[in-house]
Amino acid sequence: MTAQTAAAGAVQLGGLALAPLLPGLVQHWKARLQGRRGPTPLQPYRELRRLWRKSGVTVEGASAVYNVAPAVVAASAAAAVLLIPPATHAPNWGVGHDALALAGLLALARFALGAASWDVGNGFSLIGASRDLTISVFVEATLILSLAVAALVAGTTDLRGIVAGTSGTGVWSTPTLALGAFAFALVVVAETGRQPVDSPDTHLELTMIHEGPLLEYAGRDQAYLQWAAAARHWIVLVLGAQIFLPHLANAWWQLAVLPAALSALCAALAVTETFVAKMRILLVPRLLAVAMIVALLGIGTHLVSP
Amino acid sequence: MLVAGLTVIAVGGVLTAVLRTFLTGIALQATGVGITGIAGFWALGAGTATGDGFTNAFELHFGVDGLSGLFLGTLGLIGVPALVFSSRYLQPTVRGRAVGALIAPFMLALALVVCARDPLSFLFGWELMTLLPAAVIIIARADERRARRSVFTYLAVTHLGGAGTWISVLLLAKAGAIGNPAAIGSGSGLQAAIAVTALVGMGTKAGVMPLHVWLPRAHPIAPAPVSALMSGVMIKVALYALIRVLVDWSGPLPLWLGVLVLAIGALSALGGVVYAVFQHDLKRLLALHSIENVGIIVLGIGACLILREHGADTWAAFALAAALLHTVNHAVFKALLFLGAGAFERAVGSLELDRLGGMLRRMPWTGAAFLVGAMAIAGLPPLNGFASEWLTLQALLHVSAYGGSAAGLAGAIALAALAATAALAVLCFVKVVGLVLLGPPRREVAVEDAPVPMRGAVVFLALVCIVLGLAPGLLFGVLVGLAPWSTAAPTHVGLHLSGTGSLPTAGIAAVLVALSAALVLLRGNRRAAPAPTWACGQMIVPALRWTSAGFTKPLRLMLETVLRPQREISIRAQDGVVQEVSYSGHVPHLIDDRVYRPIARLALLGAAHARRLQSGSVGMYLAYLIGLVIILLAAARIGMIG
Repeated sequence: MTAQTAAAGAVQLGGLALAPLLPGLVQHWKARLQGRRGPTPLQPYRELRRLWRKSGVTVEGASAVYNVAPAVVAASAAAAVLLIPPATHAPNWGVGHDALALAGLLALARFALGAASWDVGNGFSLIGASRDLTISVFVEATLILSLAVAALVAGTTDLRGIVAGTSGTGVWSTPTLALGAFAFALVVVAETGRQPVDSPDTHLELTMIHEGPLLEYAGRDQAYLQWAAAARHWIVLVLGAQIFLPHLANAWWQLAVLPAALSALCAALAVTETFVAKMRILLVPRLLAVAMIVALLGIGTHLVSP
Repeated sequence: MLVAGLTVIAVGGVLTAVLRTFLTGIALQATGVGITGIAGFWALGAGTATGDGFTNAFELHFGVDGLSGLFLGTLGLIGVPALVFSSRYLQPTVRGRAVGALIAPFMLALALVVCARDPLSFLFGWELMTLLPAAVIIIARADERRARRSVFTYLAVTHLGGAGTWISVLLLAKAGAIGNPAAIGSGSGLQAAIAVTALVGMGTKAGVMPLHVWLPRAHPIAPAPVSALMSGVMIKVALYALIRVLVDWSGPLPLWLGVLVLAIGALSALGGVVYAVFQHDLKRLLALHSIENVGIIVLGIGACLILREHGADTWAAFALAAALLHTVNHAVFKALLFLGAGAFERAVGSLELDRLGGMLRRMPWTGAAFLVGAMAIAGLPPLNGFASEWLTLQALLHVSAYGGSAAGLAGAIALAALAATAALAVLCFVKVVGLVLLGPPRREVAVEDAPVPMRGAVVFLALVCIVLGLAPGLLFGVLVGLAPWSTAAPTHVGLHLSGTGSLPTAGIAAVLVALSAALVLLRGNRRAAPAPTWACGQMIVPALRWTSAGFTKPLRLMLETVLRPQREISIRAQDGVVQEVSYSGHVPHLIDDRVYRPIARLALLGAAHARRLQSGSVGMYLAYLIGLVIILLAAARIGMIG
């Protein structure tokens, strides 16, 4: 194992621990942009600590599915974090580095949470789960298409190869990757549950999407689920930074610039949340359909380019 | 060995018909089909052809090669659990014995189609394969008018479409192209005609859209083990024939045919799963999922055709192997789900989704196996459905990479369609798992787990799902070798292919299981006392529980412009007080309503007019005959015929 691989592995493990910082940063900057003082970026860690000390709850009539679901959700999120290479080099943790396998891991988490909602039979959980699964139909297609854009440019679906194949500052000088980047940006918004697709600050159950299925949990179960939501930020933002943002070819430089790129993307999310309101849920498919068409255009430009 | 297996099935079938030897007969059938399956897998592993080779002559010839072996093996893999299941599922009444006895010729017909080496026995087996399930359904549901209607639709559609099979096989035999692809020039009109007729004929039998109308009618009304064999094996045998014609017996096909196959596959996959989501009957839902999975397999075949046309032989073989792997995988989990549904129906007396519930706790073995099957069909790691869907996605991506601009874009659209299909399948099976397995029982009847043979059958199939999910590479490597052009086969337990990030299936399973277990242990078990679920202080009464229609409402609203769902709400009020609110809503099947109903109406109208010709008077018929002779003579005279 080279030093670069070891360093990238350390960054992945760091990502498991640092993921909650990303939503913390977004919330912090969003508050600043809106003229509030807001919580510190470390607020998610405080919430995790508080939840870790509390006891879980048992719902009458719930089966083992309800009990195991948070662990499965967190485990598949962790496996996805280990699957995403933070640079052109990354150790194989046993899950490989395939772009299309990522979709399977995200689907497993959604399945577990949806099944748990049915298990407790809570109407608000089920509203959230049904919306989440419905939107995921369009999100998954867009995710696969935007990753396919990058995979076609790089000539492989190995994410390490994709990071290497899209490297250079000229990422946006070809229409192919620029169109792919636009499509992926909408995937980032949908997958992290942020405006205009979902509102992470809502406390009204009837408007919840991603938060809904979390309602019946408490204590450490809830901590797992909140960590998994933060890990989803890490997964899509690292992919965005190392594929669709300009990045250098050298693995050391990639790792060194990553914090700055992630901060920039968090800031971009904060700006978007400040200026864009949540849209009607029935309109979300149109937004993602636009993203799909843009990604298809990106593939088209790649196919006709000499 | 194969002959011995088939003989044992036949003897078993005869014994099943007799009351005293009913169980012995079923056991013999299971042994026979087991031996057949082992012989099939052995032929697949050996990879050499035994018995006769393919011939274009109309004489009886039988033989086995790798591809036939794979389908015989699948027949064994599904047949044994289905028969073990039926040993308790079927009652030894006259009707039950007849159904049990008919399973034997049904399996023999399936074996006949894959072992046939000449057009005559192939077409004979093909017709038997269509007629026998119809007989089973008629016998099992003799007293239901609707069932008889469904069987009529099944026979009508499969025979009209089946004409395509006859035409393509006879054209092949005439050109001498059975087993000899060099006999027909690549890109010739004859080749295209054979491919298109095969696509219509065998596609109808496989249930691809828009030729699928019979499938969601016929599969749900068959007895569970027969449904399992129909969905698991019969429609796969149709795909076997399609692969023979399109891949084995043709040179590279023109590009437009590959794109056509891809389009049909994408339509079946998306259409099948979209209509499945809105079903409220478990078996009908499963039948529509068969259309979806056939679509996924056809996508793999389409990718293979396009890649082959472009000379990307390695990935063409991978695409074919992806389709074949999904064929086996779908056979296993669909049989599991149909048998599980049969067990639930026996226990609760209904298959309406909104009337089941809590089966995981009430029938722990069957329920757990059903959960595994649901996760496998939803394409979730680390089960078998995920491995073959991943392979198909990769094949489509490589169509974009190697297929040139037009086919490349088609590949990308198919890729998006398959991704959306996978997500829709997750949505659908979250609903199924939630309504059937989880939550409180929606109908209070005393239920106990299925008897041991029925339980054992579904648990066995669940284990096969897990094993194929952990080590798909072992089977995949063999399947790559089935392509008629030679390709270096990868030999890994997982799926390590060049140009991909590789899918170490066992590694993913290990990481997921280890992390989940560690997190459960880390959480400990400190919990507050049980409390009811929180509903803003409202009491949760059964009438307020979520239903199948409620869970799929967001999707129904989003797809409203396409699906045109119908809903009706009527409120009866008296003196300003609401007495009764009734709601009904359903998603009509557009292809049925817009395509088949007008055709059926026109056909009936035409028949009504044609009936006038049948006056019944002998003189009139003689006049017809004389007229025909005159026309024929005139045609011969001017040189049109003869």
